Amino acid sequence: MAFVKKGAVLRSPAEDERETSRDFDGLIRELDDADSAARRWAARDLAGHPSASAPLLTRLLRETEVSVREVILTALMRIADPTAVNGLVACLRSEDANLRNEAIEAMKSLPVEVAPIMRGLLVDSDPDVRIFAINILESLRHPDVEAWLIGVIEHEPMVNVCGTAVDLLSEVGSSASHDALESLKARFASEPYIQFAATLALKRIAPVPDGLT
Amino acid sequence: MTTATISQDDFLKFQEYFYRKTGIRFEDTKRYFVDKRLVERIGHSGSTNFREYFSRLRFEADGTELQALVNLMTVNETYFFREDYQFDCLVNSILPEIVARKKDKTPIRIWALPSSSGEEAYTIAMCLLERWRGIQDHDVEIISSDIDTNILAHAKAGLYSARSTMHVPEAYLRKYFTKTAGGFQIDDTLRGAVEFTRVNLQDPSDVRPYRNFDIIFCRNLLIYFDDVSRKQAAETFYDALHPGGFILLGHSESMSRISSLFQVRKFEDAIVYQRPGVGK
Repeated sequence: MAFVKKGAVLRSPAEDERETSRDFDGLIRELDDADSAARRWAARDLAGHPSASAPLLTRLLRETEVSVREVILTALMRIADPTAVNGLVACLRSEDANLRNEAIEAMKSLPVEVAPIMRGLLVDSDPDVRIFAINILESLRHPDVEAWLIGVIEHEPMVNVCGTAVDLLSEVGSSASHDALESLKARFASEPYIQFAATLALKRIAPVPDGLT
Repeated sequence: MTTATISQDDFLKFQEYFYRKTGIRFEDTKRYFVDKRLVERIGHSGSTNFREYFSRLRFEADGTELQALVNLMTVNETYFFREDYQFDCLVNSILPEIVARKKDKTPIRIWALPSSSGEEAYTIAMCLLERWRGIQDHDVEIISSDIDTNILAHAKAGLYSARSTMHVPEAYLRKYFTKTAGGFQIDDTLRGAVEFTRVNLQDPSDVRPYRNFDIIFCRNLLIYFDDVSRKQAAETFYDALHPGGFILLGHSESMSRISSLFQVRKFEDAIVYQRPGVGK
């Protein structure tokens, strides 16, 4: 046997036929195809259509195949218009834990688009959404992350939400968080976890003594 | 003749445009690298400033200027037998597993990208010929792709420097290369073993025909992409592979940090990633 060259492009007549109907309406129809590979390809191609966010979100809520969900989420991240971002926010309120986690992961990659709505998410009426918003901040590449977290520990009434914010501040915080952490310890003086986590965060953000750098 | 200058606004416009077209985002730290090449292309195209050049770039019908820019902006340095433990894994573990479950006589298909100047694809061919007895019983198709058309021409020509061939075992060097004034010319057996193609991994219409692969080598490419482009590339590989197919990344890259679509496989020689669903 040997090396062979059959041509990189392996295309069946049926695939050629499909190529001709890859307009927007055809792709939307294909999002409901019985074949998961066809649905993935439809979602992938729809990433190039700015008006595809709504149908992609509709499909995401029904889609059970993990690989298709992942491609739909990537397409939404690529489009990243207000419809896509608001749709991901709506997923944070879902009863489906997988969908919530997928939305959090997607939003972590959209710092520019998520930044304008972050303050609103951090004061959402649902404490779970406030915690999810902090989860998004974990790896959101945005210069305001620390300022947002300081805002949380200064004003947030729920101890669990504050605890989540302090955990993250101990990773990303600087001396700018010092006063807010001290205030938090005073505000939740009888909460052992807050005392522990805030003390740890204060220790981590403390300036390195001279001679140890 | 005046030399064009690139302002911060110009850079940001170009950064966004180039990212949308290729998935490659140049951060501010790459300003010098990008500016130098943009100025070169502005001069070459006869444009008088960035604005005129950028307008031409965006609206040209055939994409020739964009391709010229891509060729200039991509990094192409590699060498034979780079990260060679992965080639050991290929012949010792991956290929035997693929052969064991293969039910038909269709060729084993390997996709290597980015091809750069061809060293990786030719290394694969050499390893199969020299280290894998299965080559006597199975057809193999090696396709190697790159976004840069200049480097593809270089790959097809198969002429390499002494530096590039530094890690080629002496016996292979004698067997598959001819010493020339400019370096080492790879022989026709290996040149005939690899098909080189141009592909933009971020363009669905480019990658759609690439499917039914058993193995993909994609080493040290995803590090140049941002998070979304990396995910998009991983999803493209998922559909390009047969269920059970394998993907090998560079030593500093981890599929687990990019996508949950693949399973980790720990072999004796290397850690690789596998599309689930063998036998489906």
